[in-house]
Amino acid sequence: MRVDNCFFCGRPAWPSKGITFMRNDGKSFRFCRSKCHKNFKMKRNPRKLKWTKAYRKNAGKEMTVDSTLQFAARRNVPVRYDRELFAKTLKAMERISEIKARRERIFYKKRMAGKRAREVAAARKLVADNEHLLPRLRGSEKRRLAELAAERGVDVEELEREELAAKASGKKSKAFGGEVKRLRVRTDGGVEEITESFGGVVGEDDDEDDGFEDEDDEMDTD
Amino acid sequence: MTWKDIAPVPTAQEFIDIILSRTQRRLPTQISRIRAFYTRKVKFTQETCSEKFGAIVSSFPILTDQHPFHRDLMNILYDADHFKVALGQVSTAKHLIETISRDYVRLLKYSQSLYQCKQLKRAALGRMATLIKRLKDPLAYLDQVRQHLARLPDINPTTRTLLVAGFPNVGKSSFVSSVTRADTPVEPYAFTTKSLFVGHLDYKYLRYQVIDTPGILDHPLEEMNTIEMQSVTALAHLRAAICFFIDISEQCGYSLKAQINLFKSIKPLFANKMVFVVLNKMDVKKFEELEPEMQAELNDLVKSGDVELLRASCATQEGVQDVKNHVCERLLAERVSQKLKAGTGSSGNMGSRLTEVMARIHVAQPMGGVTRETFVPEAIKNMKKYDKNDPERRRLARDEEFENGGAGVFNVDLKRDYLLANPEWKYDKIPEIYDGKNVYDYVDPDIDAKLAALEEEEERLEKEGFYKSDSDVGDESEEEILQKAELIREKHKLIRNEAKMRKSLKNRAMIPRKSLKKSFSQLEDHLDQLGVDTQEIDLRGRAAVRETRGRSVGARSRTGTVDPDAMDVDNAPSARDRLRSQSRPRDRSVMATNRREDGVTDELVRTKVERQAKLAQRKMNRMARQGEADRHIGATMPKHLFSGKRTIGKTSSR
Repeated sequence: MRVDNCFFCGRPAWPSKGITFMRNDGKSFRFCRSKCHKNFKMKRNPRKLKWTKAYRKNAGKEMTVDSTLQFAARRNVPVRYDRELFAKTLKAMERISEIKARRERIFYKKRMAGKRAREVAAARKLVADNEHLLPRLRGSEKRRLAELAAERGVDVEELEREELAAKASGKKSKAFGGEVKRLRVRTDGGVEEITESFGGVVGEDDDEDDGFEDEDDEMDTD
Repeated sequence: MTWKDIAPVPTAQEFIDIILSRTQRRLPTQISRIRAFYTRKVKFTQETCSEKFGAIVSSFPILTDQHPFHRDLMNILYDADHFKVALGQVSTAKHLIETISRDYVRLLKYSQSLYQCKQLKRAALGRMATLIKRLKDPLAYLDQVRQHLARLPDINPTTRTLLVAGFPNVGKSSFVSSVTRADTPVEPYAFTTKSLFVGHLDYKYLRYQVIDTPGILDHPLEEMNTIEMQSVTALAHLRAAICFFIDISEQCGYSLKAQINLFKSIKPLFANKMVFVVLNKMDVKKFEELEPEMQAELNDLVKSGDVELLRASCATQEGVQDVKNHVCERLLAERVSQKLKAGTGSSGNMGSRLTEVMARIHVAQPMGGVTRETFVPEAIKNMKKYDKNDPERRRLARDEEFENGGAGVFNVDLKRDYLLANPEWKYDKIPEIYDGKNVYDYVDPDIDAKLAALEEEEERLEKEGFYKSDSDVGDESEEEILQKAELIREKHKLIRNEAKMRKSLKNRAMIPRKSLKKSFSQLEDHLDQLGVDTQEIDLRGRAAVRETRGRSVGARSRTGTVDPDAMDVDNAPSARDRLRSQSRPRDRSVMATNRREDGVTDELVRTKVERQAKLAQRKMNRMARQGEADRHIGATMPKHLFSGKRTIGKTSSR
């Protein structure tokens, strides 16, 4: 029994899952799910579909050159079972996957370096061009505040600023709230669990500092 | 060698007819240019003649090219000199005709009149015809030769041949007819067979040619007639097994002595050939019944070398097959040995052609004659034979199976036979998948070294600061900018959505922007959103609307030009009506006249009018017309009502 990689998308295909196609020249094609099988039958090129490992490797989105990747290989030389050797192997596997995860994290960080600067620059331009679209106080509100200020004897402008700030912070509300749990591998090797909630409650929203992370996490399963 | 396809040779007269008629038929009759016309005639005649003569000469066999046997046979039958002379005459005639034509063509060139031309042509053709006429005898002779040649038996001088010879009437033909499929005439008188006959027989899947020859009399070669000479030719030239038939009963009319003498006299012809003396007509007289001196004489013949004595009786078929088989066998052996001899050089090595043949022949001999014994190991040889009843018999896997519940219950323990470094490991549970990976892919005898190398690399990278992360925490202003950008994007999206909604028609008519209604509250809200205080606008707007709305109802004028009290109105609207008209939209205002009562004086007239109107509409209604101007003609045969399946149901029920 072994866990094969899907011929099409590269995901692990576990025993009892997916389907295998045996071509009449003897080559076998393992597919992890019907989606991959169908795409294969449609003669699609996995290198051109963004959701496959082949694409990601081809596009340089994943670590392809590394010494940790040399360890797992199908060997055609049979090795007799040896208890000690197997024990060593299991330990080595743990260590290798640990190192690999670390390096992948670094690889990702390097790949994403400079993204934030670009985003900020884009945001600056956007704000400069479209300042008129930023939320303002309504005329009626202004009048109310002016009346309030006159009543209390406070500066109108200060009141207005406060009001605007309160409005801006509460702006980010969506219809439905939720929670995302994700594991983050730190560069020092540790793993921390992050729980992020969005929407729902107004006000105590912890602005996520790396908004770019969610796009990649689903591929990092192996 | 056959000469069956020689074309018939026409007689001289026929020849002339053919040529002249052809000249007439094949050439144009119109005289356009006189000299050319007659020249052509002469030339054409000459060409036809040459072609015909050429064909005759080339179709006959050239004697010098033939096998000596055929050459001699033709010489005897047709007389070679005669044959050659006839052909020579034909060919000379051909040359002469060519000369004539050349001369007359030359003359024609210088002829001066049509008449002269014609005379010249006549002269040329006449001379040609005379020449041909002179060929009468050779042509007749050649045709006869042709006919005879076509009837000659097809004798192949190189193949396996049996030649039957002897005195007349000794039973040669009866032997041939009994042995082969040939139908040779057998009659009880001498010289029944007047020419060579050929029959074929099969022996051991090979075909043999049997030649029946006419009988020979014992007299010198010069005195022999044509019939006998044919036999002699065959005897002399064919490399064959010769069966010399001797009638020991002397029923043929020739004494045994004479027959033996004949054999002796023609013996020179048997050089290098196999000769079998066949004593025929055994049924009449046996060899043993002969006089002793005759017996001795016959035995003398045999003694001389290649000659063998055989006995047969064609009448009772006794010994005929034996003779045939024996002769064929010997002949085959002889031919094979001769071929081998011919192929082998004087020093004993084989010629190229023979080697080629020998290379293709391979007789397989298994193992090169070596016998191999089956190999049985010593342990097996020494093993005690298994005996069920022996108490110390060997324990078999079957016994184990039986003890553990028999077939279907017992499972063979395969792990027991594992070959491992430590037998204790045999029953270990071997991990296959660990942490989503195949363990076997990682199993490597030198995993230690590789892992150590990896750790070393890891340490180096750590030292180099590969893993050092410089987490970029954005400052306050950046955060603010990003947040603002987010707001703007959201706003963009909203605007875009709204525009889309506005633009999408959804099956409604396109309404010009001008005529789109926008309520005041919308305007107010929009301005409010932009931060403009709308309270004053609102108040002013409402006031203005009240002032100007609708038609001038009642006694008020905006400009004040008309005095409200100046006009006397029949039914001045009450205060309630005025208010109502203010709030009611203009389009729902009251009609000026009531059409129902318009132009009708009283109730009676009105009912009458109504009835009239209904009557007028009746026809329209019946015809399903929309109005009196409706001239629509619908489809007379709607497709959907007149097509479809109608096998069982009706047209309408589909």
